[in-house]
Amino acid sequence: MTEIKMNRRQFSGILASSTLLLSARGALADDAGAIRIGFVSPRTGPLAGFGKTDGYVLEQVRAALSGGIEVAGKTYAVEILDRDTQSDPARAAQLAKELINEGIDLMLAVSTPEVINPVSDACEAAGVPCLSTVMPWEAWYFGRGAKPGEPSPFKWTYHFGFGVGEIFKTYSSTWSQIETNKKVGVMYPNDADGNAVRAVLAPQLEAAGYTIIDPGAYETGTTDYSTQIALFKAEGVEIINSFPIPPDFAAFWRQAAQQGLTRQVKIMQTAKTGLFPSEMEAMGSLAEGMASAAYWHRDFPYTSPVTGQTGHELAAGWEATSGEQWTQQLGATLSLLDAGIEALRAASDPHSKEALRDAIATLNVETIGGQVDFTSGPVPNVASGPILGSQWVKAKDGPFDLDYVLVNNATDPNVPITAELTPYNE
Amino acid sequence: MTIHRWTWQSKLTFALAAVVLLLLALVPGFASGGVIERLTVLFIYVILAAMWNALAGYGGLVSIGNQLFFGLGAYMTIRLADAGINPFAAMALGAGIVAGLSWLLSLFMLHLRAGEFAIGMWVLASIAHLCVNLDPLIQGETGTSLISLNAYAIDARRVLIFWAALIGMVGLLALLFAVLRTPSGLAMQAIRDNEEAADSVGVNPMRTKRLFFVLAGFGTAVAGALWLAQVSAFQPKTYFSVQWTAYMIFMVLVGGLGRFEGAILGALIFFAAETWFADTGVWYLVGLGAVAMLFSLFLPKGLWGWVETRTHISLMPLGYRVQFDTQSEQGR
Repeated sequence: MTEIKMNRRQFSGILASSTLLLSARGALADDAGAIRIGFVSPRTGPLAGFGKTDGYVLEQVRAALSGGIEVAGKTYAVEILDRDTQSDPARAAQLAKELINEGIDLMLAVSTPEVINPVSDACEAAGVPCLSTVMPWEAWYFGRGAKPGEPSPFKWTYHFGFGVGEIFKTYSSTWSQIETNKKVGVMYPNDADGNAVRAVLAPQLEAAGYTIIDPGAYETGTTDYSTQIALFKAEGVEIINSFPIPPDFAAFWRQAAQQGLTRQVKIMQTAKTGLFPSEMEAMGSLAEGMASAAYWHRDFPYTSPVTGQTGHELAAGWEATSGEQWTQQLGATLSLLDAGIEALRAASDPHSKEALRDAIATLNVETIGGQVDFTSGPVPNVASGPILGSQWVKAKDGPFDLDYVLVNNATDPNVPITAELTPYNE
Repeated sequence: MTIHRWTWQSKLTFALAAVVLLLLALVPGFASGGVIERLTVLFIYVILAAMWNALAGYGGLVSIGNQLFFGLGAYMTIRLADAGINPFAAMALGAGIVAGLSWLLSLFMLHLRAGEFAIGMWVLASIAHLCVNLDPLIQGETGTSLISLNAYAIDARRVLIFWAALIGMVGLLALLFAVLRTPSGLAMQAIRDNEEAADSVGVNPMRTKRLFFVLAGFGTAVAGALWLAQVSAFQPKTYFSVQWTAYMIFMVLVGGLGRFEGAILGALIFFAAETWFADTGVWYLVGLGAVAMLFSLFLPKGLWGWVETRTHISLMPLGYRVQFDTQSEQGR
């Protein structure tokens, strides 16, 4: 063991600086109790692809907030308590309750109905303001029992992001970039997303001149898709649109390749799957040319009000730290933290649940993911957000196999477009 | 020689239980919201353990599909509440409907033996899961929420659910205790030990088993409805998950299979383990499995069984005790 030698001056220097640090922390805490934020996301389990980058984003935000934030003339320290749902909705509800009991002022929940819905419900039950993003807002609002045309049953929970309307806009304007017979084979499962797109998106696409070939809802976890594939082949579909969970998509598309369906397809448009590079790499050459939709992209021209980073800085930071390719979740998670912190800054008292709730309800700020505006949402408690047409293409250079390029910006014209959609079989 | 049911320990236990229950009923008056919510969860665990124990411990009906009742209890509550019924009334009514359904199921399920019954129950749970998914209100795996509870003020709602869970737990335990002390309870234990022999001495196995099956169905459905009330979110995959039965088996195996006190003790242990170790993720589940395995290998009667054989203490008198004047012996 090496002996640590230290003279008296060094020792008193360390003592003084640590006392100073402690008193600085103490001053922050004494001035006004620290603001506590609960942050719930899926870091392990089947949804781990979404939560993979959250640790990095939280690190950036914590560093940026180490000096506290100023609210109504006072400086408050900010403490973020992050929790992993292990992709289990029951655990998400449990964690939300524990966080609420730890006295958090604001709850943030991110990624998929399996996380957001139970956390939102727990906050609604306990009267704690909750902000969330990354799932179609219809599945959040109507999925939790709100009825169209009636006043909102939610007093404490708010959500921002894309909806089926944005998805339609993006699909119809992206697909018209390529000459096809406009026959669309759809794979919509029996879940909130699947039912929402079947009820709302499919009729809109038909009105826009597309023929929808729907083999009917399948149950999540199905392993044999030969009936659907045979139907799509017989009908000669050139566009396929699917909303599967990743393992279902892998099964479906591999069978489609074996049974020769992939040869006739010009556009393979997928949602829910195909968001992250790791999933795509697992599909091998079948992934090249797959069309996707992005709720964030590093080309977004916005800056985070919390960390001051641009999209490219955020993405490059992740790639440098982890050695892995950037993902669209980086910006989505940061945009949630941006919106949450901005709401706190706008509140008259960050420790008053009512004041914070009112600040969220009237929030209108720019985040790294674009404008979040609760004053003009499609329904109460919801602010709509963009989802952009994108495609996985073979990377021209760089360390990674695939590149994720934007091909359509119908839902946010501020974002620059770098490519045109190319047919799947090219 | 004297024959008696009550011992001084069991009398003391009942007196203590009454005091504890009274204190529990008054908890909302002084405890924080977090304590109230955790206790609600504990009550639900006790119900789950007691009901699985009623089937397996007393009736020998080992089921790995009790999530069937749990999920249906929650689903019925959602359905009835959506039709405009008060959520608490919907919980009670929903559990009643599940009791009716379990009577129907018992008509054919109880003809299955041992392993067939266990797997059959799991199959039924999976079928029920798929059927519930087809309901447009539920929206497949995404599920929905019991939002009619939002009409209650936040504190009132927490306390109401707490009392509902307390009443549910006490009511079901009392019902089970009462049933076990009737001739049917005795008959049920005779069937567990040897069905043919019980039949030959005049026990009607089908009627007796049905009584316990319906009771377990009702009780587990109450637990499902209570769980829904305290989390609001209904996602079919969560409620119809086999993990619920795994938890029930853990609680009963560790506490003491076929022992009334065992199920309660098991629920307390499981609750404590969850409180302290759930954060460790996968290792928590590995630990639960390992503990359950060790218990079934080395302490097959569970903790309470071990305490009972060592000390001859019976806190919940279900059988009769024969005491000789010269030396102290006991029999159950």
